[in-house]
Amino acid sequence: MEQTQNHVGNPRLRLLGNIGLYLGFAVAVTIALFPIIMVVMLSMKSRTEVFTWPPTFLPQSFNLSTYIYVLTETTIGRMLWNSVFLTTFSVLGCILVSAPAAYAFSRLRFRFDKQLLLLLLVYQMISSMVIAIPLYRYYEQLNLLDSHLGVILIYITVEIPFTVWLLKGFFDSIPASLDEAARIDGASRLQVLRLVILPLAMPGLAAALIFNVISSWSQFIIPFILLQRSELLPISIGVLNFAPGQTEGEVTIPYLAAASVIAMLPAVTMFIILQRFIVQALTGGAVKG
Amino acid sequence: MQEAPLFWLLPAGLFLLVFYTWPLLDVIRLSFTNASLIGGDYEYGFDSYRRLFRDPATMRSLQITLIFAGGSVLLKLTLGMLLALAIDAGVKRGLKGMVVVRTSILAAWVIPGVIVGVLWKLLLSTSSHGLLNYWISEAFGTSVPFLTDTRLALLTAILANVWRGVAFTMIILYAGLQKIPAELYEAARIDGANAWARFRYVTLPQLVPVVFVSLVLMTISGVNTFDLIVALTEGGPARATEVIGLSVYQQVFKFMNLGRGAAVAVLLLAINLLMTLVYLWLLRVNRQAD
Repeated sequence: MEQTQNHVGNPRLRLLGNIGLYLGFAVAVTIALFPIIMVVMLSMKSRTEVFTWPPTFLPQSFNLSTYIYVLTETTIGRMLWNSVFLTTFSVLGCILVSAPAAYAFSRLRFRFDKQLLLLLLVYQMISSMVIAIPLYRYYEQLNLLDSHLGVILIYITVEIPFTVWLLKGFFDSIPASLDEAARIDGASRLQVLRLVILPLAMPGLAAALIFNVISSWSQFIIPFILLQRSELLPISIGVLNFAPGQTEGEVTIPYLAAASVIAMLPAVTMFIILQRFIVQALTGGAVKG
Repeated sequence: MQEAPLFWLLPAGLFLLVFYTWPLLDVIRLSFTNASLIGGDYEYGFDSYRRLFRDPATMRSLQITLIFAGGSVLLKLTLGMLLALAIDAGVKRGLKGMVVVRTSILAAWVIPGVIVGVLWKLLLSTSSHGLLNYWISEAFGTSVPFLTDTRLALLTAILANVWRGVAFTMIILYAGLQKIPAELYEAARIDGANAWARFRYVTLPQLVPVVFVSLVLMTISGVNTFDLIVALTEGGPARATEVIGLSVYQQVFKFMNLGRGAAVAVLLLAINLLMTLVYLWLLRVNRQAD
């Protein structure tokens, strides 16, 4: 990282500025992390501790019995599996159908290519709620309500526009001379895509994979409307089932907290491990570090 | 070189046609009917729209959506800009821990919206486990009904939404900052510009395209917010946080009024399309300026 040194030579002013910046960062990081840390603490409190007054930040003891209960006695394992299943197949499916389209937009010239690419952006901006209503009716008639396959098809569809744009950007950065050379050697376009472009576009495919995993894991409207049986729900919806009902009152609060932690853990862990890569992909390589 | 693109575009195109374009057209058609979710015959007419614009609940929901989106955008932009500038300054000064700061702020952005709603609901609760409210009542002698007061609830929803989304704004603006040529700052320094003048006359004008594009994206994501509100307030109290997406959902799946719900959905669609047009126009202006 290039060091742009402050031209104002006053070291005392500079120190003061640094202290000010660190104070600001401390406030920002506290606000960013406090709700997350608080829910982790809450998830380790016992069921009776929730009623003790005054409430404390730290649990009386760090007991994991809530987690053991939630993981063994509730359907959360099933919900996690549902999320993994829906995410895996929709992400793979989406990349499979988006890559050829992105290749066409990157390498072929055809009528209305620019317009079609912009049309994709339009899809990207529309709330899933709009299409969910008619889809509910079709699925009801086709007996596809409460089917994972039905939901996966919609996940794939809503993620196509973003994925095509992302992959096209990566394909564009690969010199066209490479595929021309392969074409002269007698490779078909499909072979060019498979043997030349895709291996070179690995970072792009990885970026598409990561962003699609994050967004599939968080999908809400589509499964909320098209899935009803509780054993089919992904964790992003199922967590709402842990919210205190009328009968049991506040007793289940630690369960809700633990379920929330379990639900966000995969996404947050993946993000922390891959954050450098994600930030670079997000900003088109403008940000390093 | 003209080559038939059909083969390449067909898979993605079929998905978009069958599962997106067709339902979009169908929702517009349904909005001109009095169909019910339960089924049965229906007639075509303009009744849904007549009732839509006379229905105070829908108009209120539209207003709530605009306040929610507008408030979120303003706060995200202000805080996102401050964070981007601070991290930029930190990196340029060679301060340690910048990646930790960035990662902590970005973490909220990958958490599913529902979980964000649950997190804030637990955090702000007025029940015995509500830690923040306990601290507030210790300090100020009274707790704050963040989620149960009709006026406060919308503000609370905005704050939770900003908490989740500010990282995205920050990272886009930060990327924009990296693209400003260093020579511009050099020239400004030679002219004797102080830090504020450099921000006002170099940074800000150079960032304008990025700011406008992120404004539109933030507005669209604000208008389309659904998951966070469902988990945080379920649209309450007394429908005070019922944004337009929730309105559509209630109309169709609670009151079974498919026709009227479709009309509200078309209203949402119209807002989406309007914002997209602004976005496309901005992209064009930006490209011409380059």
